[in-house]
Amino acid sequence: MRVFRVEEIVSGECSGEAIVVDRKISFYGEVDPEKGVVRGEDIVLKNKVLVLRGTRGSTVGSYILYALKYYGVAPKCIIAGEVEPILVIGCIIADIPLFKVLDYRSFIEYLRVVKNPYISYSSSEKTVVVYGEERIDNSN
Amino acid sequence: MWCNRLYLTREEEAMYNGEYGEATALAMKIIVKVGEVMGAEKLVKVKHVHVSGVSYYNIREPGLLFLKKIVEEGAIARTYTTVNPSSIDLCGCSGLFSRELVNGQYMINRVLEKMGVKPVYTCVPYLVRTPSPGEHLAWGESNAIAMANSFYGAFTNREGGPLTIASAITGRTYYSGLHLIDNRVVEAIITPPKIVDEALASLLGLYIGEYIDVKPMIVDAWKWSFLSIKEFLASTAASGSHALVVLDKITPPNTYRVSSSLEKISIDEKELRLYKERVSEAIDFKGYVLAYIGCPHTSYLELKELIDYILSHKRVRDNVDLLITIPLHYTSLLSDEIKYLVDKGVRVAGGVCPIVSLLNKKPDLVITNSGKALFYLRKLHGFRVAIASAKDIVREVMLN
Repeated sequence: MRVFRVEEIVSGECSGEAIVVDRKISFYGEVDPEKGVVRGEDIVLKNKVLVLRGTRGSTVGSYILYALKYYGVAPKCIIAGEVEPILVIGCIIADIPLFKVLDYRSFIEYLRVVKNPYISYSSSEKTVVVYGEERIDNSN
Repeated sequence: MWCNRLYLTREEEAMYNGEYGEATALAMKIIVKVGEVMGAEKLVKVKHVHVSGVSYYNIREPGLLFLKKIVEEGAIARTYTTVNPSSIDLCGCSGLFSRELVNGQYMINRVLEKMGVKPVYTCVPYLVRTPSPGEHLAWGESNAIAMANSFYGAFTNREGGPLTIASAITGRTYYSGLHLIDNRVVEAIITPPKIVDEALASLLGLYIGEYIDVKPMIVDAWKWSFLSIKEFLASTAASGSHALVVLDKITPPNTYRVSSSLEKISIDEKELRLYKERVSEAIDFKGYVLAYIGCPHTSYLELKELIDYILSHKRVRDNVDLLITIPLHYTSLLSDEIKYLVDKGVRVAGGVCPIVSLLNKKPDLVITNSGKALFYLRKLHGFRVAIASAKDIVREVMLN
């Protein structure tokens, strides 16, 4: 178990199974808004805590987040390393809680060594706790 | 009131707290949150909002659903608001655009017009309402933003579609980025070759967009035509993310500053010629050719000159379409002249942009005078594109 400090951008509940996309993604084009999956990868977003490095690309991306919610396949919340307007606006209009993790590098490295990580957000502490069994082999 | 790190006036606070209805509260929340993320300390009133992200081809059902929802919740434009081109030919006269998008696009248009948006459907809002130096705007549409900051000396960031909607509803944007003079600092001075026409201006713009990240100043830009400036800026904003390119003796004083350490860059004609070989196809008429003028939409003067030049030719060649896209209101303003063009086989389309729409027939080659159209038609649609000036295009594709 480890604790990471976050900044709350769009408030709300955030706890659940984590899914990691460690790159900047363009929701427009890379995410199927009706199926709720990252295209070309078997990443299902529904009810997950989505961990993202950040977003890029077309501002239509905000509408894709709205569509994910509309079609009932949105992630429960998003924890990102970098936040920019496309993501912020998308999360506001879709009412998806959004957090910025202050030390994204350590956060992502820890998520790598944990099997089936489970994340829980504490609004009083402004932290997220990562639970899960740490892998023994930590050589990379 | 301080809302976290951002100061709101009493009126803004009332908007934020829902006293002006749900839609306004949501719009205010968008602006405040984005403002916080962008490090703004307060909001600023905007004189003119230009809404982008309205093409059904791009935003599809997700965008339509959102727009519908906020208008149902009572969204109304509190400030002067214009809107970008749609995905269908709104004058219905060209016959080149797919009818598949008609229903979706009309639903978007109806919602926007209900909000009180001026139905101009054009990417040249600066020709609808001229911005003043130092005026704060919230504009989407990269070419218009570059023109507003660089040519007119107005202050706007590069905003996305949903934020422009929020600004229309609240009449505000967040006060950061290019709204502050300290962020409008020239860091490089570029000496370009002699610009003889808008095709060369486009290539220069694409080149600068691709290779130069800092805010540049362009020497001798005052010698260029309005058309060349428009095509140049649109190109810098397409291949790069430029929103302010200072134009020597054009950009109004006191709307930018110059850094004490200026990087000096010189671009010669040979460099642009080599660059052209890389980005532009050679002109041939082996298959179906689409000649395209009007990206960004033509100005009134540009269109009048083009009409005169076209009318001195006989008709458009076989297996070629010559498309001109114009602001929607020009279609009624110049209806007689447009009829003459149609008689010559020219396709005139109003309130539409082929970059954000679907053509009925895929061209084997596009010839355009626009660097922006070249960039996006290649990248987004996979077309082969050649660049030439409007005059050269007419000469090539029309019989004498």
